[in-house]
Amino acid sequence: MNKTFCRNLAKKKVMSNDGMLIGTIKNIIVDLGTGQVVDLIVKPDDTFNTDGFRMDGDKMFVPFEAVKDIKDYIVVDRYLLRKSA
Amino acid sequence: MKTQITELFGLSVYTDKAVFVGNVDDIVLDVDGKKIDALAVGNLNPEIGELKGYKGMQIPFRIIKSVGDIVLIRHIAGVFKGSKKE
Repeated sequence: MNKTFCRNLAKKKVMSNDGMLIGTIKNIIVDLGTGQVVDLIVKPDDTFNTDGFRMDGDKMFVPFEAVKDIKDYIVVDRYLLRKSA
Repeated sequence: MKTQITELFGLSVYTDKAVFVGNVDDIVLDVDGKKIDALAVGNLNPEIGELKGYKGMQIPFRIIKSVGDIVLIRHIAGVFKGSKKE
């Protein structure tokens, strides 16, 4: 099982599995009733086109479903990325 | 109820027998299971039992009953002795 401390994630970069830099992680949305991790809040990189994504001001929501792995980068699946939770 | 995870940092953890355990230092995520695995609690109450010099403990998410202004967890006899001196 792949476990990680939250404070480890601070300022980690989010990258899609086709190698595109998406942005930097800002926060995580959790459902405290069920313990499920719902979304990542990501500050999009200047080079990333956010059209069609769920946005709140300048922050972007990435469903945690899309997260493939977390090591040095947070790798998300580019197909699941657009899905709204 | 959806919450930003940073709001949990620093919350006080109590058992349902009203024993103070400590403060939330960090949260452990299970990346594969996509859920919260445990709370890492520091600033432990030295009176809850044998701490053996540990600075913190991980509280598994399944014993957490509720999270609001404080975190309420199930009281497990044998782990948390209660704050009364015996």
